[in-house]
Amino acid sequence: MIKYISSALLIISAFLIIVSAIGLISISKDTKNAVYARIHIVGIFDIACIIAMIGLGQYLLAGIYFIIAPFAAHAIANAYWKKEDRENNLEEITVEQEVDYNHPFIHPKDKMQAFESEDSEKLKADDRFSVTTLEIYEGE
Amino acid sequence: MDILFISKYIVVIALIIMMLAALRASAYKSNSMGLLGSSVVVVAFAMVLLVGGDIYNLEFYKDISLALIFFGFIGTVAFAAVLGGNDE
Repeated sequence: MIKYISSALLIISAFLIIVSAIGLISISKDTKNAVYARIHIVGIFDIACIIAMIGLGQYLLAGIYFIIAPFAAHAIANAYWKKEDRENNLEEITVEQEVDYNHPFIHPKDKMQAFESEDSEKLKADDRFSVTTLEIYEGE
Repeated sequence: MDILFISKYIVVIALIIMMLAALRASAYKSNSMGLLGSSVVVVAFAMVLLVGGDIYNLEFYKDISLALIFFGFIGTVAFAAVLGGNDE
């Protein structure tokens, strides 16, 4: 009887592991809060591992992993929230730079953009200069 | 064949699929995804060792599995603490 219970637990855990594997790679990278969703899916994998450990008779290991798995998930989510999450806390990550408008050589970005725009009055008044723009795409 | 034996092999196959999925997920753009994928791979490998030790009656595989799970957790938390930085 115990053999059948162990087999059922192992098959249930295998099913959960496959479902979590499919979910882990099926989330699009353009999905909002994709990292948190993947951490959530890994929680299913953790519980599947605990079920498999119980099915194999490793109760102490299952108990230890049941305690430490949420700590690991929280640590990863907390690190992502603090340093890499640009969707939800954009204003905290953006570094405000001190802009010196009177510097002779270094011009602030907004001033140059205003100068380069088509509606700029300076550009209309003086069309001797051709302004080229170099756009820099900063990957995450 | 024994149903318990077959179910153990099914778990091993599922864990290998999960390891491949975690490797793919760890290649996404943020460092946190790499951390998450590596922690999943470590736990999946520990589970494979646990099942393998149960199939072939190798007791020390369980010790290795316990060490992998425990130190994998410590490494994950330590790397996440370094990645997150200090509270200000």
